[in-house]
Amino acid sequence: MNTNPSSRNRAADIFAVLARWLLGAAFLYLGLNKALHPVEFLKLMRQYDLGQGALLLTTVAALLPWFEIFCGLLLLAGVAVRGTALLLILMLVPFTALVLRRALAIQSALAIPFCAVKFDCGCGTGEVFICRKLLENLFLLGLSGWLLAGRGRRFCARYHLLPGRTKAGP
Amino acid sequence: MLAAGIVFAAGANLISPRGLVLTRNYFPTGSGPLSPMQSGAGAPRPGTNSANPVPAQLLAARIQEQGFQLISGRQATQLFHDPRCQQGIIVFIDARDESHYREGHIPGAYEFDPYYPEKYFTNAFPACQAAEQIVVYCNGGDCDDSESAAITLRDVGIASRKFYIYGDGIPDWTTNGLPVETGARNSGTLRRPEK
Repeated sequence: MNTNPSSRNRAADIFAVLARWLLGAAFLYLGLNKALHPVEFLKLMRQYDLGQGALLLTTVAALLPWFEIFCGLLLLAGVAVRGTALLLILMLVPFTALVLRRALAIQSALAIPFCAVKFDCGCGTGEVFICRKLLENLFLLGLSGWLLAGRGRRFCARYHLLPGRTKAGP
Repeated sequence: MLAAGIVFAAGANLISPRGLVLTRNYFPTGSGPLSPMQSGAGAPRPGTNSANPVPAQLLAARIQEQGFQLISGRQATQLFHDPRCQQGIIVFIDARDESHYREGHIPGAYEFDPYYPEKYFTNAFPACQAAEQIVVYCNGGDCDDSESAAITLRDVGIASRKFYIYGDGIPDWTTNGLPVETGARNSGTLRRPEK
């Protein structure tokens, strides 16, 4: 079995490309689920009590799904991968915190075990058990972090769009 | 890239036929959760533990504050069987979305999704103008779309005293085995749910 550094790097690169496509497809799917049912998403966003301002709530509900689609498309195409990964982390961290806060409130109100808490968090996947949701988000965060570190650069449209830039570039 | 993403999102929302209007207040009853356990999705669904009904007193107070009246399933049934219902003096308004309306609504009820009111004004507004009593319902539980619909109609000139909010909504109606009409209004296709 060949385990030299270049073949290990190649395997890691291929795995990272698959991770990029998986992350891109996931955000495309989640974004589309919300964008096709914006009112449902808007109603679900209400549970997070983002403040009494209707404008903030409506703006988040109107733009976030399309923003996720935008990020998903960029990752699938391989354009601005690290910047997109950073944006995903910046979105995932506060939303995971909001979902966690909400789950703790439900747990406290119903006096049930934490992992028995099940609700529709508005994440685009319907009702889910909170522990599963948190694990999913951690997985997505992990993938985003990996891409942010510079992995997954094969098959990137970016190098066709900007031929002057090489894969070794920043 | 953040700016490009925001421009893309704003443009897509603007073009989308289902896009939200940023300046519209979609929750005239308040944009925060109605109850600590509110899911926002309306009717309690099997397998979830997040959707509890809004306490009755809280709901009654909120409805009264708007100048509407809260009615029970028994009162809604009485109004439905009142001969004036056939004459359009009493009308029913279904404040759920189109797919739920088509799945089954109170026979003869007008469709009025308060999130897309412009689609439904043509039919619902004249009916409400002519009516003396307007029963508005949605999914019961923590659903406040019936109130939103009543507020929207009130804001275009229908007197608030006409509105009767059927708080327990369609789940209560079907639980009591009362008939529902599927498809369009007055389609004639009636279904009587099992008790």
